[in-house]
Amino acid sequence: MPFKSTPQPFKAAINAVTIGVGDKAMTIGGENVLPLYTFDAPIANPPKVGFEITDTGLELAIPGIAALYEGTSTIGERAKKAETLEGVDFISLKFAGADPNGENKSAEDCAAVAKEVASATSLPIVVEGCGNAEKDAALFEKVADALADRNVLFMSAKEENYKAVGAAVGLAYGQKVGAESSVDINLAKQLNVLLSQLGVKNENIAINPGSAAVGYGFEYVASTMERIKAAALSQNDTSLQMPIVTPVASEAFNVKEAVVSEEDMPEWGPAEQRGIDMEISTAVSAITYGSNAVILRHPESVKTVSSFVKAMTE
Amino acid sequence: MALKGLDIFKITPKTNCKECGNPTCMAFAMKVAQGAIPLEKCPHISAEVMAELSEATAPPMKTIKIGAGDKEFTLGGETVLARHEKTFVSKPLYAVSVCTGQSEEQKEKALSCLTAIDYERIGERMYVELIEVNDGTGDKDQFIELTKKALTYNRTLVLSTTNVETAKEALALCKDEKPVLNGATPDNYKEMNAVATEAGVVLGVCADTLDALYDTVAALEGLGNKNLILTVSDKSMKDAFAFAVQIRRAALKNNDRTFGYPSLVHVNRLAAGNHNMQTALASLFTAKYGSIIVMEEMTYSQALPLYGLRQNIFTDPQKPMKVEPGIYPLNGADENSICMTTVDFALTYFVVSGEIERSGVPVNLLISDAGGYSVLTAWAAGKLSASSIGKFFDEFEIEKKIKNRTLVLPGKVAVLKGEVEERLPNWNVVVGTNEAVELVKFLKEFKG
Amino acid sequence: MGKFIVIGERIHCISPAIRKAMDQKDPAPILKRAKEQLDAGADYLDVNIGPAEKGGEELMKWVVTLLQENFDNVPLCLDTANKKAIEAGISVYNRQKGKPIINSADAGDRIENIDLAAANDAICIALCSKSGVPADNDERMVYCQELLERGMGLGMDPSDLWFDPLFLVIKGMQDKQKDCLEAIHMFTEMGLNTTGGLSNISNGMPKDIRPIMDAAMVAMAMANGLNSAIVNPCDKRLMETIKSCDIIKDNCLYADSYLEI
Repeated sequence: MPFKSTPQPFKAAINAVTIGVGDKAMTIGGENVLPLYTFDAPIANPPKVGFEITDTGLELAIPGIAALYEGTSTIGERAKKAETLEGVDFISLKFAGADPNGENKSAEDCAAVAKEVASATSLPIVVEGCGNAEKDAALFEKVADALADRNVLFMSAKEENYKAVGAAVGLAYGQKVGAESSVDINLAKQLNVLLSQLGVKNENIAINPGSAAVGYGFEYVASTMERIKAAALSQNDTSLQMPIVTPVASEAFNVKEAVVSEEDMPEWGPAEQRGIDMEISTAVSAITYGSNAVILRHPESVKTVSSFVKAMTE
Repeated sequence: MALKGLDIFKITPKTNCKECGNPTCMAFAMKVAQGAIPLEKCPHISAEVMAELSEATAPPMKTIKIGAGDKEFTLGGETVLARHEKTFVSKPLYAVSVCTGQSEEQKEKALSCLTAIDYERIGERMYVELIEVNDGTGDKDQFIELTKKALTYNRTLVLSTTNVETAKEALALCKDEKPVLNGATPDNYKEMNAVATEAGVVLGVCADTLDALYDTVAALEGLGNKNLILTVSDKSMKDAFAFAVQIRRAALKNNDRTFGYPSLVHVNRLAAGNHNMQTALASLFTAKYGSIIVMEEMTYSQALPLYGLRQNIFTDPQKPMKVEPGIYPLNGADENSICMTTVDFALTYFVVSGEIERSGVPVNLLISDAGGYSVLTAWAAGKLSASSIGKFFDEFEIEKKIKNRTLVLPGKVAVLKGEVEERLPNWNVVVGTNEAVELVKFLKEFKG
Repeated sequence: MGKFIVIGERIHCISPAIRKAMDQKDPAPILKRAKEQLDAGADYLDVNIGPAEKGGEELMKWVVTLLQENFDNVPLCLDTANKKAIEAGISVYNRQKGKPIINSADAGDRIENIDLAAANDAICIALCSKSGVPADNDERMVYCQELLERGMGLGMDPSDLWFDPLFLVIKGMQDKQKDCLEAIHMFTEMGLNTTGGLSNISNGMPKDIRPIMDAAMVAMAMANGLNSAIVNPCDKRLMETIKSCDIIKDNCLYADSYLEI
């Protein structure tokens, strides 16, 4: 008796959300199967890989990234370089310098930076804020205006600022809204409902239901994403059918394993490779549990994760 | 797995003969499903069908033991596909691969991690549990030599050869250590089965397609061997994942017990020579359905994320991960460095210690027993209080061991300040930050 | 089976407005009722065209097409004693949003509706009665078995038979209510799907009493496993109860706004 291999696609599907414009626009989501289950049905849009650029250039502390940017002096030049990386689908521009507890750059300055980056690259752009809810709302509004024609995804609208972000980014400028909740599935759903009630269309919403580096409570992230996909696909829960975007870079490169120097931990070997392995492992795990796009910091991780996705879905 | 009444009803004669004492076959089926009466009460169900049914009520995935003594491991026995449904029971094991035909240097490089990587993380020993010995050349003597060499590393072995004579001789060396004999194929399974059964070891089965694998397993089960491990395809990454998922899903979701066995994945073959891709694949198969994951080597930079991921995924969702109470000196802290305290919930510990390390400020992190809860939950449950902190200070003789007298409390339990001051009158009690991310700034600016 | 399936009962020829609309092939009143029910959260719409001995086939085709064209292929429950009309309805039915439901077969005269469902890959409501009210649950189970066997014998997947315990009116048969709940429990234990005309229980009660009685019944029935019912979705109290029970049964993820979605 042969093995009964029954494909198990679902009747429901994840929403397809398009970011960016022109030839290089990308679509995330759209699949009606669990992550990477190509044996059940073709994956409509394979997971996408983004490369993170920060306004403060904090990533330049890593030698491999500094080498990539050799000879550049402006963020626009860096964006141009980033575009040439093997396997990169989109640029994620992070405004670390906008943090009121840090450099506290003005929203106007950030908008100027965003314009510079946008004119240097035709890749789709994701904008990451500084994490301060109030500042992000102000910042996103200015950047949404500056990049009005680029169909940008803004990360993120949270419980504290979803009204301001949703109204400015989603309604006034018709850009894409990222809804962020920290590993709380009920809040993830509620935020989507609230954004819909505000008038933001489902096809303009992506979600970040929380992220963590592997080893650092990743089990919560994994289970939250698994449950979201299960509800979206098997229960046809339309409030959870948004594609998932996971910022991996800042999680992976901030844990001890990536930070401690080789001098302090000689047996661990070079810090840079530890960061890369931490980033690859976290990104692949996130994709396995449901991320439709991941944001990475290291060129080597971008290369590996994008060829992983290719090999798994083509 | 419990059967539904409907499954039982299907095998009843459906004649409502009442010989079982029930008015209808339906009522009978329902009572059997509830466990109220045994199936044997129906005189019309054949012994054959009865046996099929008892097979169907057996656990969907077998529990397979490999290795002996302190190197014994349990694989399989899973009942669910996702960890939020119920706890996974057997964590995957990692193996490094050595192969005949490799240079001595290559072999040494692969085997070096067996001694280099051995550390503890939240109470769990992290090391490479297995060595796979591969028959790269088909030369028996070389395989025996390599097996002997591998045996000196004191690990459980996976002997991968499709040559029956080679298998026999290698097992003669080490069968009491219960290695896995990974070498049954659709062509040689009869002979290999004899060798494995004779030696009393687990048999690994491989085939090119899922159908061929399925048929071979069924044939081996027919020969009475249910002590198996299934090797997934090494043709491509995509195929390997398709094998791993479909095998596990067939067993747990579709009740097909022929595939109810643990799996073995050759990450080393899927991405030979590509360190980063092996990290990616090992992560994939740790997350989904690899039982033994074979790598070319295991570097520290790979071990750190992989063991962290495995520990995360294979913890009991009902039980919080806890770190041991004690003094954790960070950034070279000594008796003159300030003290900070938080709870023993592993996630809190990692986040807080990580931020302290980023600050570079020497700190003695004091972890007391708070039941594995987060700060606020522990406080609400009475497990983080002035008296619990005081008790910890007494038990661990903090005042004797540390000369500095500054103690920083988590900002979320600022309310405890007064009581802690009362309990520890010699100490300067300071309220810290609400969130761990604010710690770097706090510590850099702190003038204790 | 996931979330509770609400079959909206309000397109029924017993309503004078609907009967007139059906007679005159006037879309407006039918579309209005359909929209009200869908807005209120109905998953399926029941279409009862009555006995329809004359012109039933044409009428069913017309209603099915009308509703599916106007409401994105809304799945329908075809409700008439005229088998030819049901077949005609299925012949124009679009399955994109779900299989058609045939309402209904019983263990008596109407058992052939199961054959019809099997032949047309439809879901069939299987009413556990023959003629009149079953005396007890032993009798219900006999009918259940007959219906199940017939369907399975014709190659139907048992999950396409939705067993109806026959909800009974409380005023008059108060002592039978516990039996009905027990029957739902038994069907569920067997692994079968269940549905039924739940609002029948409050027939004859004052208008303001019916919602609370129906809501209490649906909660108790859902606790026993009921996973669908033919009800009035415009009854807000009832729908809120169903949504809450879906949360408690973990059929649907909670969010603060769960009543609004």
